Amino acid sequence: MSSSTQISAPQSMRTFRVLPFTPPPGASGLRQQVRAFLADNMPPTDAPYRANSWTVGDREFSRKLGQAGYIAMIWPKQYGGHERHPLERYIVLEELLAAGAPVGMHWIADRQSGPLILRFGTEKQRMMFLPRIAAGELFGCIGMSEPGSGSDLASVRTRAIRDGDGWRVSGQKVWTTNAHNAGLMIALLRTGEPGGRQEGLTQFLIDLTAPGVTVRPIIDLAGGHDFNEVFFDDLFIPDDMRVGAEGDGWKQVTAELSLERSGPERYMSCFALFLEMVRRAGPTPDAAMTALIGRLSAEMWTLRHMSMSTAAQLAAGNDPTLEAAIVKDLGNSFEQELPRLVQAAADADLDLSSNEDLARLLALLLQISPSFSLRGGTREILRGIIARSLGLR
Amino acid sequence: MNDDQSLLTDAAGRLFGDLALRREEDFTTLWTLVEEAGFPLLLVPEADGGFGGRWRDAFAVLRLAGYHALPLPLGEAILAAWLLNRCNLAQVEGLTTIAPRVEGVFVEGRFTGSVAGVPWGQEAANIVALLNGTLIVLSCGDSVSIEPHENPAAEARDTLHFERALAPNAPCGIDLTALGALIRTAQIAGAMDAALAQSIAYANERVQFGKPIGKFQTLQHNLAVFAEEAAAVNCAGQAAFAAADKYDGVAGFEIAAAKLRANMAVGVGTSTAHQVHGAIGFTREYSLHTLTRRLWSWRSEFGNDRLWSQRLGDQVIAAGAAAFWANLTERSDA
Repeated sequence: MSSSTQISAPQSMRTFRVLPFTPPPGASGLRQQVRAFLADNMPPTDAPYRANSWTVGDREFSRKLGQAGYIAMIWPKQYGGHERHPLERYIVLEELLAAGAPVGMHWIADRQSGPLILRFGTEKQRMMFLPRIAAGELFGCIGMSEPGSGSDLASVRTRAIRDGDGWRVSGQKVWTTNAHNAGLMIALLRTGEPGGRQEGLTQFLIDLTAPGVTVRPIIDLAGGHDFNEVFFDDLFIPDDMRVGAEGDGWKQVTAELSLERSGPERYMSCFALFLEMVRRAGPTPDAAMTALIGRLSAEMWTLRHMSMSTAAQLAAGNDPTLEAAIVKDLGNSFEQELPRLVQAAADADLDLSSNEDLARLLALLLQISPSFSLRGGTREILRGIIARSLGLR
Repeated sequence: MNDDQSLLTDAAGRLFGDLALRREEDFTTLWTLVEEAGFPLLLVPEADGGFGGRWRDAFAVLRLAGYHALPLPLGEAILAAWLLNRCNLAQVEGLTTIAPRVEGVFVEGRFTGSVAGVPWGQEAANIVALLNGTLIVLSCGDSVSIEPHENPAAEARDTLHFERALAPNAPCGIDLTALGALIRTAQIAGAMDAALAQSIAYANERVQFGKPIGKFQTLQHNLAVFAEEAAAVNCAGQAAFAAADKYDGVAGFEIAAAKLRANMAVGVGTSTAHQVHGAIGFTREYSLHTLTRRLWSWRSEFGNDRLWSQRLGDQVIAAGAAAFWANLTERSDA
């Protein structure tokens, strides 16, 4: 191959497809409405609660959001939804996150559980759960990981065994975020032969208040309680709580994951820390601080456009599995690096044991940021998905 | 992408691909083909004899120029023609390039001083330069001397000296460094994609330890990160060019952010491309260097990371933390 040659991309190679985000009509009016809502209704929160706020739960606040029509925004009205445009929902989400609003109680149900029920559920299931989710009264959790199945999700072992007009389940889920608050779990269970892979999995709706369910807290390294172990002891699930056909669980889970991976929460978990750093820097910081603020702004601005482009793909009905994996991995790397960069560049006398907002935000985020590239698909899984799209696997 | 834009990119892709195979031929032969195809007048309105394209069309064309490592000052010529039109100056005959750096005085319509870092200044007929808010059009034939220089990619970056050279001129409030950064961002986006494609093709073909090296997980993950960086530059570039359409070329925030993000991506892209290729990629004969040497050069041109991080940081600090989010969203809404 000589230096005068033409590049031709391998046929099997797919890369990030950029779709411009055309703001829906009335975008800025909608932002003003959300900001006004927050000014009136956001509970007074201590600085650390504004960080990573999509895992900070507040029942009362979620109920108010539901009443204001900011949950289930794009679902049909007959199920309690508001039939808004998907990009209007995107705008509301990023406004809530930018303000550090405590949206953790309903986040999973709005993002994942509801859309899954809407897409694959029966009419009965939709009527039973969706209006309560939309009202900010029923919260969800995702029963995927098990003690022996983390990234290798296809190895899920907990079995649902046919029993009359339903199923019997004994087993365990783990790392289940929000299970201690949720009334509803969407569980991925094995209905096929033991030891099987993708093909023998089915999704079920589990009432977490049913007899046979036990939820136990797992306290994280910073002392927080987000995730749990959930035990099933001879739990009975009626067959009408099965979601989709028997054996379709894997297909449905895969579709669900692209909804999970490209949202603004994948790069904004440390936004409160960034703002506090800019505030503390004041009007005349030194050149190093100015450069850091510039660099982080450029990365954030870029990630926002990547996330919005992917939202536009989802809104157009395309399958942005690759784009979502790229947004999540790049966004997680950014939000994970941010506390380290702030720590390195902060005033030399910044004391992590002090009560200043910057110190408390930083202390919390240094500790919880390792989870950013674990939750919702590890960095290694995402890079595998990207490599497959590139035509390397 | 609309139909007009795909006709444009099809034509650009075919022509630039052909020219890439002829890169050893003389400059004038190659430039004439690009000029005859009308690309330099891409951003000049149809009413003024141009193509009537938008900045987002310029992104698509210049990305392809970067993809094919086009050895011609196309971005510079597009920019020069746009500047002349916007400042109500007449288009001038022959290749018109731009001056990244100017030193000297402009008195009574005459320029005395030097322009430096000029892309293909020696081959050009005219140079558009910006001096203290005045756009001046220098005729290269008026220069008293020319010092040829090259950037690390062997692209001409000449210095020309002038004494009392008569120059058409007009007041101009545009930041030429920013517009130069904008065109380099599109070229970096294309060159990153090409280096990625070439690296993936090579990884699938090169066999070691009994299998294509692309089957090794370490390479897969490194190439995945490369693809993320290429995606970031392409997305940032498109967003900055869309902002240039919206703000008629004056998109200080978006251009600063996009060039800085592009600069940051160059390090990852070039190092991974060379690591994947091994020794063959380090040779003159193999074509990878036509991309990577340009990427290293373009990272410095029209503002390195330091310049743009300072300028962007200054903007954010001046607005204050409380206004950050409102400003960011306001610029992308409506």
